[in-house]
Amino acid sequence: MKPDAPNLKGALDAALAAAKRLAPAGAALVRLESRRDANLRFARNEVTSSGDVDETTLSVEITLGQRHASSDTNQLDPASIEATVNRAIGMAQVAPEDPEVMPPLGPQHYLKAAPASDAPTAALDAATRAKMAREAMGLPSGEGLQMAGYLEHFSSRQLLGTSAGLRAEHQHTGANLSVTARTADGTGSGWAANVSHRIADVDPVKVGAVARDKALKSAKPTKLDPGRYTVVLEPAAVAELLSFMLFAMEAREADEGQSFFAKPGGGNKIGEQLFGPHVTISSPVGDPLLPLRPFDEDGLALSPTTWIDKGVVKALSYSRYWAKKQGKTPTGFPSSVLMAGGTATTEDLVKGVKKGVLITRFWYCQSVDPETLLTTGLTRDGVFLIEDGAVTRPVNNFRWNESPIQMLKNADALTRETYRVAGDFLPVRVPALRTNEFNLASISDAV
Amino acid sequence: MQLTRRGVLKGTGALAGIALASRAGLADARGLLTDPLLEEVIDRALGAAKKAGATYADIRIVRRRSEALFARDDHIANVSGDEGYGLGVRVIAGGAWGFSAASQVVPAAAERAAQLAVEIARANAPLLQRPVQLAPVKAAVDAWQTPLERNPFKIPLSEKSDLLLALTGALLKVPGIQHCFSWFQALGEWKLFASSDGSHIEQDLIRIRPGYRATAIDTASGEFASRDHDLSPAQAGWEYVARSTLLADAPRVGEEAVQKLKSPSVTPGKKHLILAPSNLWLTIHESVGHPTELDRALGYEANYAGTSFLTTDKLNKIQFAAPQLSFYADKTTPTGLATCGYDDDGVKTQKWDIIRNGRFVSYQTTREQAGWINESSSRGCSYAQDFRSFPFQRMPNVSLEPGPKDLGLKDLIAATDDGILIRGDGSYSIDHQRYNFQFGGQMFYEVKGGKVTRTLRDVAYQSSTPDFWRSCDLLGGAREWEMGGSFFDGKGEPTQVNAVSHGCPPARFAQINILNTNTGKGRG
Repeated sequence: MKPDAPNLKGALDAALAAAKRLAPAGAALVRLESRRDANLRFARNEVTSSGDVDETTLSVEITLGQRHASSDTNQLDPASIEATVNRAIGMAQVAPEDPEVMPPLGPQHYLKAAPASDAPTAALDAATRAKMAREAMGLPSGEGLQMAGYLEHFSSRQLLGTSAGLRAEHQHTGANLSVTARTADGTGSGWAANVSHRIADVDPVKVGAVARDKALKSAKPTKLDPGRYTVVLEPAAVAELLSFMLFAMEAREADEGQSFFAKPGGGNKIGEQLFGPHVTISSPVGDPLLPLRPFDEDGLALSPTTWIDKGVVKALSYSRYWAKKQGKTPTGFPSSVLMAGGTATTEDLVKGVKKGVLITRFWYCQSVDPETLLTTGLTRDGVFLIEDGAVTRPVNNFRWNESPIQMLKNADALTRETYRVAGDFLPVRVPALRTNEFNLASISDAV
Repeated sequence: MQLTRRGVLKGTGALAGIALASRAGLADARGLLTDPLLEEVIDRALGAAKKAGATYADIRIVRRRSEALFARDDHIANVSGDEGYGLGVRVIAGGAWGFSAASQVVPAAAERAAQLAVEIARANAPLLQRPVQLAPVKAAVDAWQTPLERNPFKIPLSEKSDLLLALTGALLKVPGIQHCFSWFQALGEWKLFASSDGSHIEQDLIRIRPGYRATAIDTASGEFASRDHDLSPAQAGWEYVARSTLLADAPRVGEEAVQKLKSPSVTPGKKHLILAPSNLWLTIHESVGHPTELDRALGYEANYAGTSFLTTDKLNKIQFAAPQLSFYADKTTPTGLATCGYDDDGVKTQKWDIIRNGRFVSYQTTREQAGWINESSSRGCSYAQDFRSFPFQRMPNVSLEPGPKDLGLKDLIAATDDGILIRGDGSYSIDHQRYNFQFGGQMFYEVKGGKVTRTLRDVAYQSSTPDFWRSCDLLGGAREWEMGGSFFDGKGEPTQVNAVSHGCPPARFAQINILNTNTGKGRG
């Protein structure tokens, strides 16, 4: 049933050869990705939609002196490859000169990546997806709850080559299951998820059970006034708010004065102690729990980097151009981030709270003020009052206005264990944490 | 603008409004599509689906093109031209949906996609509570094209890059502006839809997104402020850019960024809030557009985008807004980003009331959804972002009707003793049932005694959807009705983006909660 595997190496060579022939004085960077994405959605205790898609994409960047342009296609026949190269050349010829252009990289030495590709994940079929969805929904009983969720998996093979002789290849797979359970009366909602590069790590029975348990426990919430509270944030919430800081950690924006990491008077905040000694954030390469590509979009080799070390800003991300201009080493754009855990268990986080709030996850987080990294968002799918070290009752959802900087500054306990979290941002592993003075600004009536 | 067949024959390439009697006639009209291979691709896909046991099948052959330029300060940092082409086959078998897609638009790949789609549908059928049922639709053989004068893909690249550099050049001349960006994107979406119901529809849509941002920085204090131009993206040609005031406005936009940086911080509290259309469109999108999506209301988006407080028991019952407010949905208004001839179910697009005189009167639906609320036909809101995506309910243009009086922003300001005026869209966030929202803006003005007294910064407004719309006490007229919009409305899993516009006049809202977003912490 599956189409023949595309000849990626042949397409890479063909694109580079076409670039050399059609623009002999130019330089070229070619990327290819062959990908299968399959998924299944369910809601109201039934399957709703499902798909399975194969696609191979080719991206060509051409540099002619200081002029450059790029062109993508998903058509891999020889004529389309040549047309795509030609289009990039044609656009580069008329593009204005870019004083910041960097030549394509030559051969790189990559650190050994942990195995990121899993054959059962790549081969998963429709029947197995349906079986996993049934298990996640807890059918046939489902405990009277309305179950909704999403299961997706992919396999990807990427090739990258340049006219300067660089060749790079990476294969990886991924699987992700998330489940939302809602009580029949609409007053309770719970959520849980698993993400991994291996489908075997995704446990639909457990994910479904956690979501159902949260939904039942969160039903009929009682009112809690807005205010500043000690909060225990589960990993999904930590990861989402943290991502607003990670995306602000670009050296150029800081050096230019348009970032939280800009230093008043000029320069950036590298070297400043921003947080307590328990906050360490890094991008490991080769971590078996976070097995990701050892090179960035340009093919630049990624090195293990510590961004925040025991609360001190140690590094910001430098593009190749900005590193050259500032006399630094380029970091490239990291492919993953690990926030180190602390010493606590999840129970310890709750035990230490006189009066506080346990939060499952956030929703619709948006930057409010890039200067302070103030962010707004809402709680969702399980918010509970903590009194005298124990979870006592479900409470309403809140809109909050808080920054990742304050979250980390005011954090006083982190779980030892870290958790992989799926999201729209970088793949991350983070602990759950407890933080103080978190601004739960107004009540949300949403359930 | 409706173009005629005569226009096509003259070589304009226009396809708008051409009703075609038969598939054989399509080749004349298409211009783009003369390849008989595509007829075979369609026949093989629909035939294979039927043979495998599908009770319904459709195929979309879609070509998406994007051209994007991006300027940073004094230079063009990016130029790209991308293209994606492929086919998606959707079937119903055993009562369940199945979907598969391929980037090879050849008969064998179409047949294979149809077979895999049926296999998926059959695997899912045991997990159904009730079979999918589609509301009837009249088979259409037709073509539709964005009305435009100058195809942006045919405008020389140098004309676009010259404009972007002229914009950044003008912004950087403003004292106090240290950095700026300008951008232009053209998105082309050509698609051929054919279904086992006998429809055969070709559409060619072009959307554009021009814009720029100026940033003023006070290096000593570490403070900075940005101002974006308010021009909305639109379904239009290059003429939309050429006739705009983008370049003429650059000095003012730059000066406003500088002014914003120096402005005093707002004093929070309840105040009258006057919103220009350049801000209000986004509030309509989040608080009127999304809660009236039927799939949300019934729980189909519960795991990601959320549900809606406008549950089906509230239809025709709840007073959603002040009685003078009426909102309509439509996919027919020229330049609207969601405007087209037919949706991705093959349903002819239309215009209908969502909120009439403040009362909630209808949802957005697809063929699958109409029967869920006992309606006999779809509202035509099915859309898939590309060939590889499953079509589902997406937002049409949802707009606020102008009021009957000829009131403009000046009149609203003159009538306000103590308030805030906001222009342009900024930060936006709303809860997963669409009650509690918080929005920012681009420029904020203090209004005292019927006059704008000074600019402010650090402003956000926070409210709950029904409270907010019921508090509207002054509504502008048709003269200042404008559309805003976005290329990037996300929904579904996997997430798909939809481009959508919202028109509105300026309006005033009584006693809204104004927040000060300057926490002070972390600054400096």
